Amino acid sequence: MGIRQLTNSWNDSGKVLIKAPSVNGFGMAESVPAPVDRGREPRRRTRAPRSASEDETQTDELGRRAVELSRFYGGKIETVPKVPVRSLQDFALWYTPGVAEVSRAIHADPDLSFDLTGRWNTIAIVTDGSRVLGLGDMGPEGALPVMEGKALLFRWLGGVDAVPLPIRAASPAAIIETVERIAPAFGAINLEDIASPKCFGILEELQKRLPIPVWHDDQLGTAAATIAGLLNALQLTDRSVKEIRTVLLGAGAANIATARLLFALGHDPGRLTLVDSRGILHAERSDVDELSVRNPWKYRLALRTNGGGRTGDLAAALAGADVLLAASTPGPNTIRPAHVRAMARGPIVFALANPVPEIWPQVARDAGAAIVATGRSDFPNQVNNSLVFPAVFRGVLDARARSIPDEIVLAAARELARHAADRGLSEEHLLPTMQETEVFPHVAAAVADAAVRQGIAQRRLSHDEYLHRAETQMARSRQLVKALVGSHLIPPMPRAAPPTSRRRTR
Amino acid sequence: MTGAPTASGEGGSSGTDSPAVPIHLRPARASDLPVLVPLLLRLKRLNEEFDPLLRVRDDAEAQALEVLRASLDDPKSIVLAAEGVGPDKDKVVGLVHAVLRERPFYTPEVEGVIVDIYLLPLYRRHGVGEYLLKEISAQLKAKGAGVVIAEFPSQNEIASRFYAKRGFRAITGRHARSL
Repeated sequence: MGIRQLTNSWNDSGKVLIKAPSVNGFGMAESVPAPVDRGREPRRRTRAPRSASEDETQTDELGRRAVELSRFYGGKIETVPKVPVRSLQDFALWYTPGVAEVSRAIHADPDLSFDLTGRWNTIAIVTDGSRVLGLGDMGPEGALPVMEGKALLFRWLGGVDAVPLPIRAASPAAIIETVERIAPAFGAINLEDIASPKCFGILEELQKRLPIPVWHDDQLGTAAATIAGLLNALQLTDRSVKEIRTVLLGAGAANIATARLLFALGHDPGRLTLVDSRGILHAERSDVDELSVRNPWKYRLALRTNGGGRTGDLAAALAGADVLLAASTPGPNTIRPAHVRAMARGPIVFALANPVPEIWPQVARDAGAAIVATGRSDFPNQVNNSLVFPAVFRGVLDARARSIPDEIVLAAARELARHAADRGLSEEHLLPTMQETEVFPHVAAAVADAAVRQGIAQRRLSHDEYLHRAETQMARSRQLVKALVGSHLIPPMPRAAPPTSRRRTR
Repeated sequence: MTGAPTASGEGGSSGTDSPAVPIHLRPARASDLPVLVPLLLRLKRLNEEFDPLLRVRDDAEAQALEVLRASLDDPKSIVLAAEGVGPDKDKVVGLVHAVLRERPFYTPEVEGVIVDIYLLPLYRRHGVGEYLLKEISAQLKAKGAGVVIAEFPSQNEIASRFYAKRGFRAITGRHARSL
């Protein structure tokens, strides 16, 4: 019997369940924010915008509580075994001398590391901490709690073992070299919170060099969720992506990736205009030569987009536009009602800045927007990268894909859009919500199918098999946490200290 | 110092009257100066990206005007204006600036130095760089140059590759440090 036959199930291979959540399950012990990325706020279906001071109060409260709980639990994840340990004798199997044969087998065929260790389900979340949330450069240590949170989301939503790996790296080359060196331990790499524009070159180079999928969530996760929402918004307003005129406000990681995906869908580059802090990006703008050196990705967009030769500010860009995709400066007055009124009839407005969208949804609607989406869970149509990345990684790991080309990103976006459409599209239902957890295995299976179609799947299964594996792995994660919580191995959340007695820890 | 006249230098032009080249070269005139000065400043600001010792001076605009005006009157200088064609006819989209220098110790005795080449980004590629280089080389040769030299920031790898593909090689270096 060969080594491959000895491992009866790739789900069971490997001995250590890396980074199981150590905190309470969501909503199990007390009310906490919904399981969304970026610390977004609890889901509340309301159109009425809170005041800025209410927002600040709630954010402060959540921050204080997060520090309390982080101290109480000592972080959010830990490593626990995934094999029985009946006695120390078992270590003769799990460790030496038995493990030597496993090691020899993998040495002879490194690909067996996906069968005989947990590599098949383990990813690294790599950051240099250079652009953490909206906080800026927090350094690798400052990024660690965020990466722990991301690992928790990967585990809870995608059933993926994710290792937070903030690194001290002074240059893009250092990040690339580090990731290349650690890649043998992982089935895929998630780059996170790396500043733009260096994130583009790092992703491109690692995608070229590594034989495993590499993803940058700030680019691809947000772009895929945006595209999913946009596809349904176009359907609702009877528009075609090939005919629309689109304005992208903000030239960061997400919008640069969104532009590329739009072109892949058939959007005419000439009918897309990108606006940043210096106004409309165009080929003769005074900083365009500097961009050729500092940000070639944006430079190429400067040459390729804005076919009408528009110049000026956001207002000039928006005149007659069908779609505005804003991922820029938090509002609420980054986009003004007059901007929306200048757009084509019944425009689509995505105001994705957090914590405050570039324009309040109701204000955009009052100005004529047919459909509005934001990044927040307390308004309809949340464009949330957490809808995407857990399922994408589940899919590429299950298919053991060699990479994540844009076709896979688009497959995830289309499946998200389809899932929402199947449940009935409306101006307030463009995308699945985070509560619709059944969407994740379907997106994972669509991703795995796309990997097969692209010829990059090293584990080719049927759609139903991929779906079943994804459902099983995702459900197991939640069962695991519930079991740990139920047995009090994960202790219940302590009650929040009264505000007056709380100690500010930072 | 020149930049790279094209982003990649790919493609090829058959010469001065190639219909595929989307620009037209002509001698610059004093009346072109208001357009040429901003183009020259764009080039200098691009050079600034490559090295802090190439930081553009606050009075660079006035200097650019002075340098170009002097070159227009100097028989040992060549300033060419690049115009668009078709809808862009009469629009100045770039410039080429070269000077003749004596070589008292070497032969050939006169070198033609391309000090500035700049084209607006949309007019690059399509063999335009090849065209500009052939044209300025021919004019420098007609004025007595036996060798053509391109000056550009050492860190400008695109320019390095462009000239290397066309037979240029480094013969001297300028190494600098702040004082």
